[in-house]
Amino acid sequence: MLTGASKGLGIEIAKSIVENGWNVIAINRSESEELKGLQNKYKEQVRIIQFNLENTSLIKETIFKKELGFKFPIHGLINNAAFAYDDIVTNINLEHLQKMYHVNVFSPFVLTKYVIRNMLMHKIKGSIIHLSSVSVHTGYKGLSMYASTKGALEAFSKNTGREWGQRGIRSNCLVAGFMETGMSSTLDESQKNRIYNRTSMKEPTSKKSVADTIKFLLSDGACSITGQNIFVDSGTI
Amino acid sequence: MDKLLDIINEILETKGEEKIASLTDEMSLRDHIGLDSLDLAELTAVIEAEFGIDVFESGIVNTIGEVVTKLELTQ
Repeated sequence: MLTGASKGLGIEIAKSIVENGWNVIAINRSESEELKGLQNKYKEQVRIIQFNLENTSLIKETIFKKELGFKFPIHGLINNAAFAYDDIVTNINLEHLQKMYHVNVFSPFVLTKYVIRNMLMHKIKGSIIHLSSVSVHTGYKGLSMYASTKGALEAFSKNTGREWGQRGIRSNCLVAGFMETGMSSTLDESQKNRIYNRTSMKEPTSKKSVADTIKFLLSDGACSITGQNIFVDSGTI
Repeated sequence: MDKLLDIINEILETKGEEKIASLTDEMSLRDHIGLDSLDLAELTAVIEAEFGIDVFESGIVNTIGEVVTKLELTQ
């Protein structure tokens, strides 16, 4: 189950999953040509559910009851969808902040609840991956609110890993550096260059590198990795 | 009650513990049957898939009788 699969990093992750022979349930707010193209190419493997993650209270009814049914086995959850509300702290707009917390924090928590229940029912040793951001660990002007949502996910993930480890259910965060995606499109060139200069490699983080690391975290090869933050960030300094 | 017994026994079997022969209303899920919080989460998930009811949604349930009451109330 992958959220935010319609564009940017999400479509890259979806590709990586289906090319590996796995199936993907793509949960998106809006449709995209890229995702439809992927579905046309891998018909049996791609299922698209249109859902707005601002509607946290409808997750169970819509996704798990109506669309999938509880008997549909889920092996992995990738919480990728995120809403970026950037501003300096003194300008906080509560409405925007609440929307961001619904999409970035509350919905991932509730999705995790029902995915773990699903895994328990089907006796699946599953893998949960939350997309975090290097902004949690390295401060940037204007990102305090956004970074706080990702910090919440990191804490949630570490404790989820601890809680469910004995059932073989793993939870990790992929801490991504700045990528060339719609999420960073509000930054101008000089802002982007300043950010990239704060990395060892002096370049944006590769979406493919992030997607391939997620594929690995989903796989049996990562069966002893849980409660970790895995940094894929061009070596942010 | 038979279905509930099957579900509980399957969980006990996975834990490598002995199955139980029958259920009574007074039996405590934790003290008598020996289910821990993670087992109860599994029990909730399986009951919901089977009966369409989340028995733990509105608070902690302690005994078999309480589970049965919740299932009967919503059927």
